Amino acid sequence: MNDDELMTAVRESFTGVRSATAMERIVSRSRAVRAHRRVAAASAVGIGGAAAAAVAVSVALPGSHPVASYPPASHPPASPPSGVPGVRLAAWTITRQADGSIQVTFREATHAAALQGALRADGVPVSVTFTGQQNPACRPYGASGSPAFWPFGPKAGPLGGYTFTHPKDAYNTPYALVIHPAALPSGAGLQIWTSGTPGAADNFQLYVGLVHASPQCTGS
Amino acid sequence: MGSVSLDFAEFYRSVRDECLRAVLATVGDQDMAQELVDEAFARACASWRKVSKHPAPAAWVVRTALNENISRWRRHRREVAVPDPGRLADLPSTAGATGSAVDPRIMAALLRLPARQRQVVALRVFLDLDTDRTAEVLGVAPSTVKAHLARAIGTLRDDLVPITEQENQS
Repeated sequence: MNDDELMTAVRESFTGVRSATAMERIVSRSRAVRAHRRVAAASAVGIGGAAAAAVAVSVALPGSHPVASYPPASHPPASPPSGVPGVRLAAWTITRQADGSIQVTFREATHAAALQGALRADGVPVSVTFTGQQNPACRPYGASGSPAFWPFGPKAGPLGGYTFTHPKDAYNTPYALVIHPAALPSGAGLQIWTSGTPGAADNFQLYVGLVHASPQCTGS
Repeated sequence: MGSVSLDFAEFYRSVRDECLRAVLATVGDQDMAQELVDEAFARACASWRKVSKHPAPAAWVVRTALNENISRWRRHRREVAVPDPGRLADLPSTAGATGSAVDPRIMAALLRLPARQRQVVALRVFLDLDTDRTAEVLGVAPSTVKAHLARAIGTLRDDLVPITEQENQS
């Protein structure tokens, strides 16, 4: 049996394998992906070129209103009325809740360092990477080191109590993450990272997991 | 299907089986392969204007599916479970633990290959990509692709030829 015959045998052994997924299902899922892209693009336009290009973090005063009418009316508000606007970029918004939790609403996976800095300033030991890679200095926390995640994972992450929760359906945009700093186990922090194209507005997935807090990983 | 371009619809119909086979040969589990390929096609559909200009859109789909598989691996911080090749090889060819219609001896032989060799075989055999395109898709040098393919063929021959010879004798 020469190389070609061997490869032919392998190829022919798979001829019974056929995709069972209807076109409609692919299209349905693609609409969610496209919706995410449209929302992100609308956000960039609404906030303006300066904000889109800016790496600097703008801090809204307590009691002030969000910078832009976002999310659009078709989506429920990303934060409850009691939320205090914290930090807002075109890419994401941090809102402090009355119960001490912190909501992060993601539209684009960009400005990771600014997000990390803002969350750490709010007392959350956290590592944020939007490079498609996790921070190699981070180690999973405890035996249940398997992180919660979405869009495929659970809507709430019951790791160490409800350290973080996910208030939206898996494929809704924008993604929203609620961090409960008081529920963080002693010595634990959070790791937030993405897969997909770094910086892409329409092709990233967001993951969150509990990690051991350390200066190299979570800053403290 | 609404506004979905006929171009994408045609692309999907023409390559979905090949893409599924390529991913199945790499991950070893048909349900997982189907999930990964579906997600990759959805992303291709959402970005069809861009993906359609790719020199090998089917390879883009397979690469995206394999990237997603790697993401899942990272997400779980543990090896994604693949069927045990030793156990697979003992199964009758009509009912693999992989839930696929593939001869389990051939699937077992593929799963014994290192992951990169499996990817090379998948792209060369099921998508019929040449060495340069395979190298481009995997982000490695063409010489690396040739080396992986040569080793993979050698291993597959060692695994499969004795089986086929036994079958021919009986």
